This record gives sequence, structure tokens and C-alpha cells, in this order.
Amino acid sequence: MTAEAPDKSAEDGLSSAGGAGTTGTRFDLDKETELRFEVEAGERVQLELLSGMAEVFGSELNKNKKYTFGPGSKIAVFTWHGCGVSLTGKTEVAYVSKDTPMMLYLNTHAALEQMRRQAEKENERGPRVMVVGPTDVGKSTLCRVLLNYAVRLGRRPTLVELDVGQSSVSIPGTMAGLCIERPADVEEGFSVQAPLVFHFGSTTPGTNIKLYNKLTSCLAEVFSQRCEVNRKASVGGCIINTCGWVKGSGYQALVHCASAFEVDVVLVLDQERLYNELKRDLPHFVRVVLLPKSGGVVERSKGGRRESRDEKIREYFYGFRGTSFYPHAYDVRFSDVRIFKIGAPSIPDSCLPLGMSQDDTQLKLVPVSPGRDLTHHVLSVSSVDDDAEPGDGQSRGILESPVCGFIVVTAVDTQAQVMTVLSPAPRPLPRHTLLIMDIRFIDLK
Amino acid sequence: MYCVHFLMGLNRGNLVRAVWVPEERQVELQSPAGKFWQSMGFSDRGKQCLQAEEALYLMECGNVQVFYRDLPLSIQEGYERFLSSETLTLHQYQVYGHLKRLGYVVNRFDLSSVPSEYERQLNLPASVDSRQRKPLKRKHSQSPVSSDNRSTSPLVKKTAEHQSETQVKSNESLAGQTTPDQPQEELMESFPAPEDSSERTWWREEHIQPPSAQSQSRAPRWDFKNLSFPDLGSRSRSACLASPDPSLLPGALEVGDCHMTPWLRRLNVKEEKLSRRERDRQRDRDRYHRDINRDPKVRDCRNWAEYIKLMEERRRQQQKQRPAHLWEREVTPLTQPVHCTSHREVMEQISIIKPSSWSEGVSRLPPADQWKISFDVYQPDTVAEFKKSHPGKPYSRMCVCSFDGPVPDLRIMKQLSCQSGDVPVTFAVVDHGDISFYCFKNFRLPSDVY
Repeated sequence: MTAEAPDKSAEDGLSSAGGAGTTGTRFDLDKETELRFEVEAGERVQLELLSGMAEVFGSELNKNKKYTFGPGSKIAVFTWHGCGVSLTGKTEVAYVSKDTPMMLYLNTHAALEQMRRQAEKENERGPRVMVVGPTDVGKSTLCRVLLNYAVRLGRRPTLVELDVGQSSVSIPGTMAGLCIERPADVEEGFSVQAPLVFHFGSTTPGTNIKLYNKLTSCLAEVFSQRCEVNRKASVGGCIINTCGWVKGSGYQALVHCASAFEVDVVLVLDQERLYNELKRDLPHFVRVVLLPKSGGVVERSKGGRRESRDEKIREYFYGFRGTSFYPHAYDVRFSDVRIFKIGAPSIPDSCLPLGMSQDDTQLKLVPVSPGRDLTHHVLSVSSVDDDAEPGDGQSRGILESPVCGFIVVTAVDTQAQVMTVLSPAPRPLPRHTLLIMDIRFIDLK
Repeated sequence: MYCVHFLMGLNRGNLVRAVWVPEERQVELQSPAGKFWQSMGFSDRGKQCLQAEEALYLMECGNVQVFYRDLPLSIQEGYERFLSSETLTLHQYQVYGHLKRLGYVVNRFDLSSVPSEYERQLNLPASVDSRQRKPLKRKHSQSPVSSDNRSTSPLVKKTAEHQSETQVKSNESLAGQTTPDQPQEELMESFPAPEDSSERTWWREEHIQPPSAQSQSRAPRWDFKNLSFPDLGSRSRSACLASPDPSLLPGALEVGDCHMTPWLRRLNVKEEKLSRRERDRQRDRDRYHRDINRDPKVRDCRNWAEYIKLMEERRRQQQKQRPAHLWEREVTPLTQPVHCTSHREVMEQISIIKPSSWSEGVSRLPPADQWKISFDVYQPDTVAEFKKSHPGKPYSRMCVCSFDGPVPDLRIMKQLSCQSGDVPVTFAVVDHGDISFYCFKNFRLPSDVY
């Protein structure tokens, strides 16, 4: 946005790259092209914008600022009008590509922005968008691009993260809502300061689809309430990122999510079957849009997904790149906490008391007696009141209460009846109701 | 009668003299004990003592002569004095004597000697082995439950209580959840308040504007004809989108037209991988599932609220259409036609009696007073190695009852088996001196349909 003479800055950029004595590679991008690169394992790559303007997933790059990307990052630098960038460090691949669907994404944004304007004028609520598609088609990236564009125009959209496997807001195994107030940091992503996080407990919605749908409804309810009191949030609407599970119950969960959030637009990435089915199963006033995926999307392996999950939990405790936070380790007595697992094993309907249905067992809280098998599990600290009886009709149930933080059990001493936990804050625990996750985290490195 | 008995004992030459102490309800030996000491009796303050039933049995065998007020007791007097509700009942003694005569080692059951569920889980050595428990030094107890069970580990007991408590709590919470309407204010309060409320406002905004009433036009809110989404699915659209208004774009970008034709070719080059089952299911769905938008009533809906209301009405109507003689009485069918897609599901739905295991849910049951385990029984072939200080795991435990009394129900059997731990409980049923033994086995009904 700064108007500078392009020639001069280009020269500056070249000289600075040369002066540092690094082996920076210069790339000159034509208009509407993108530079895609992957960082090699164990390496770091520095990116610098030398001339023109460019953006990474919708966040603008500052000129002559060095951005560092860690090992395994997959980055696309896009430019609308052409630019020059330099890369320093070892990249696995680095190439310039012309066929990028950014133009379609930008047009999508334009249409959503039109809807926001209309909402502002009519004093109505803004567009609620759901992004769906199979795994590895760039759902999260599309969400990030659309949110960035909206927030750069002064909107306050909300990101609703329903992807329990690869959450971009909190650690895996959670469902979260995040109010977006500034564009995502090029390196770190959206600043996560006061997210609303619910405990799901597993990395795939299939383990407890009832709970998944219930938490989706919970998030929708909270979001609607927020829209009622906050006009800006209401106009900004929300962008819902979903799981890559689009068959069977996963598909049903998508339809349920659409009706819970009362979505206006569904963006389907790269799957015609899903597009046709949603067109058939969603009422006519919902606009279903089929978008292509970017050619730059890389398929992640199972191991890669696990690693990125691990990295996300490590980031929660130790900060971005493991440098900024210093977590605490302390002992918690078993008698001071109550630990629950959500979901009891299923039993036939006919065995249940009259009027109870199977939902109740999947949503049941089962007390867990602390034992050695608790070691390395991630526990959510529920924000429910400690003295609130679970059956108390007055207070919000443990299931529907947001999470105030996470701890990891690093050791269990059954003799002394204590467990050692890794916690982001010093003792004591803010609340004493803990929910156990299937996810484990081993605190190495 | 006295004399005959007295002389019989004398003839054997090893008759042990003992004194009945009614306050303690036990018998103190006055002369050194015989061979029976290996498996019977206990020491109390340096004296060798016998439990009432042991003394009575030994009297019957002619090994012990019991004196009371310096007079020897007859066997009949022994029955009268030794057996009472505070020591043993006649039925219990009959079972005791029967087993003893068959050669078994029989001891009174002591609840505290059974390792708790928790100890067993941890594979702790049985607490009998620990130093602090001295079964030999025990004072006589009025009931088989010895008073020193409090000294086992208090922590263990505490956690067990805690567990059952939380279990109850969670049940309550379940009941609480089923109430449909929860106050909305609660929900807002439970949300963690952000630190700098001036910056980020989830809830409070200075200028709250009331949301306007729904616009009452018949058309849906959004006019998607004028909103140009780059939809690759709708083939009828023009293949080229006009460039969007720069004011809608970040940084007031100016971009050209958007050509969609090249993208159409690039869509879905890869075949979607579906298993055969998934493909079958999809085919079924395609066959029976119509486009909901062909329904004129759905077409009339303008927004989600109306659509959800319509669906709700339809569902209620569908429930009404079910035959009244089946569904509107107290007893309703166990299965619903729509739910029967496999044998397994049908079996699950019609199985009224749930298989349950012995240990399930015992902690929540109130204790029964009438039913108690009376004896630990050890097999005769272990007598040679038997040690009173380390009796080890019994072969079985006896619960004595009578044919006159009630039959134990499932709750009692569960409780007793829980008390007994991993040792089987045998019910000895006494019918005027005839004793029959019953035990229950835990097994799973075969179900080959799955």
C-alpha cells in the first residue's frame, strides 16, 4: 500500500540480499501468479519482499521485512500486480505457478462482502459461510484467505473451527470459535487471544458423533447470542471450517452444522458429489458454491498429521517455535480434582430407563479413577464451577461449558495419590473439573 | 452323663482343659493345646483361646473339656451356652461342624482380609501379609466383620467413596441435562471473561442496537442472482465473471475478469475412493432420497427458522401417523420399523434383560444386613501346610442360610460376591440338619447372530 518507486526498492532489495552475503534466490512474479515453496525438514527459510506487493494466504507482506518459516512449512506467496521476492535457506521445492484459484476466491470474497454491505444496510445479520470438502483440499487456507480479506476491510468476522483433527485455533480434539480482529500473522497465523473452546476429546468426529453435533449446536447458540449483542460481529458473519470427513455420518454432521448455524453460503472445495448432495439436502435459500482446489495443495501423510498435531500442543505450552512460553510442572492430588470421560459404552435402547435415548449414553460423563494409564494424556480444565453439582439445573453442564485451559499428565504416583502435570499457568488449577482426551502428548524436546 | 464323658476324655490321655469366658464369648485353654492348634484357635494376651464354635466342635470330638464355674460342661450345655446370636447360630454351627468333619479348614470370615477392588487392580500383595494386621491377636468380634477393617488403608476407602459419589453426581447431571430450557444468562456468564474488555468484546458492546424485525417480504433475504459467486457447479452461468467492484476488495485492488472455463476442466480429475458398502449405501440414498427443494412447502420457506419449523411439524406428524393401537398405550413395541437394518440392531433393541457382570454397580447398592459371609473354607489337602498367620486365599467362602428364610436375590448375590473378591461364594442351605451347597456361576449367553 505504500507508494514507493518500484525501481529503487528493487535495487535496495538486491543490494541488501547481496550485502548480507547470503545465498538468497530472487524470484520475479508476474501479475496473478504465486510462488510456492516447501521448507525442508530441519531447515528454516527466510522470505523477503523486495518490490511490489504480495500476500501470503491473504495477509500482506511488509516490504524488506524478513519472514522466517520453520521446517515443513508449505507457503504460497501470491501477487496481484507482480512483485519481486527473495528466499534464503534450503527449500524442498520452490516454483512459480500461474494457475491459482485466487481469482475465484477473491470473487467469492467480493460476493460475501456484498452480502455484508446489504446486512449493514438492512440491519440484519451478515453471511454465515461453511467451507466443506474432503481432506487436503485447502479448506483451512480458504478460510484464512476469506477472513483476512474481510478483516482488512474493517469487518469483524468469526472463525468457527470444527475440524477436531487439525484445529487452527486451539489444540486438536477441541472445537472453537475465534473473533478475528486483525489479519493473520504471516508466520504464526491468527492471534489466538480469547477463543471460545469446547472439549471434544478425540481427533475424529466419528468417535462420538452425538457429542460433535451437540457441541456444534452449542457453538452456534453462543455465536447467535454474540451476534445479538455485538452488531459488528453480526454483520461480519462467520466462516466455519469443517472436517474432511464427508461420507456417512460425517456428511450428516455437515448438514446438521448447516442448520445449527443457519448458514447462507456453503463453499464446496473440489468435490462434485458433495456439491450435488448438499444442493439436494439443503433448502433452496442456501447457496452452494463449488470451488476448485489450488494446485499447490499438498497431501499430508498420516504421520505428517500426527506431527502437526503434536506441534500444535507443544505450541500451546511452549509458545510459537517453542521459545516464548515457560510452562509449569507441579503435583496435583487425586482428591483435589474430578476427572471425567465423555461417553459411556453403548447399551441397547430397551435397557435404558423409560424416556431415555441412546444420546444420553454418548453424552454421559463417566468418572475416571486416576491411574497409571492416565500418563501423557491431555486433560481439559473445564470452566464449570467446582462446587456446582453436575445435576444442578441452574448451572451449565460440564459438557456445554467452555474449556479454560489444558494440562498434560506427565507422571502418576498411585502410592502417594498424586499426578504431576504440565500446565501453562502456575498452581493452583483454576478449576477442578478435568475432562480426559484420547490425545496423548509426550513432553520431549 | 458327666462322668462318662469325663472318663472318655481321660482315657485318651490328651484331653485339653479349658474355661469358658462368657464375657468374651470365647474359651481359654488351661493346658497346652493339641494338634488341632495348627488350624484352630488364636492367642489373646498370651493366652491360647478358642472361638465358641471351635470349642464346641472339639468338645464333640472329645479333645477339649470345657469348665464353667469349675464344673465341666456337657455337650448339650455347650450348645446352649456357646451358640447365640452374638457368636454363631445353630445353622452356622451345623455347617461348620459338617465341613470340619469332612476335613476342611474353616475360619470365620473377616471382611478386612479381603483385598479391595482397588488393591486387586494394582496387584498389591494381600493386606493379610502386612505387618500391621495380626489376625491372631484379634479380639473376638461380635460379627464376622472385624472392627479393624478401618485400619486397612483409609485413602483407598476414601477414593472408593469419592468415586461412588461422583458417579451419583454424574447421574444427576444427566437428569439435569435432559431439561430442555437452560437460562441463557448462565451461558453468558460461564464464558471466561477476556482480560481487556475494552479491546475485545465477546458480549458487551457500547452501542447495542436492537436487531430489527424480520423483513416480511416473501423472497429470501439474499438475492443470489445478483451475487456473483464463482460457482463451477452451475453450468448455465456465464463462463466469465465481471471484475468485482474495487471497493469490495482489500487494498482497493483492481483486477480483471475472472475466467472460469479453464477451471471446469481441472475439477475432480481424481476418482473418489468409495468402498463397496459406501457405494451401495449411496445408491440406495440416491434412489430413495429426493431433492428436498422439489417439495413446494420447502420452496415456500424463506429462511432457516421457517424451514426448521416445517421439519419439526413434519416429524411430529409422522409420529402421529403411527398406528395408535401399537404406539399410544403404555406398552410400545421395542423396535421401530425404520431402525431395523440389521440383525444386530434388532437383537440389541429387543434384548430386555441386559447382561450384567457381578462386579457392576455394586458400590452403589445399600448394604444388606441379613446376609453375611460366615466362613472361609480351605481344602483338606492344604491342612499340612496351613498357617493361621498366613492362611492364603481360601478355596471358597460360605454363606449360611436356611430353607425357611428368603432366597437371596441378585442384589444380595452381587454384594456378597463383591465382599468376597475373587473367591467364589457358596451358599450352604440348612434344612433341619441336612445341608446342601449351592453356588452361582457367571457366564455369558451365547449369541451367534452377530
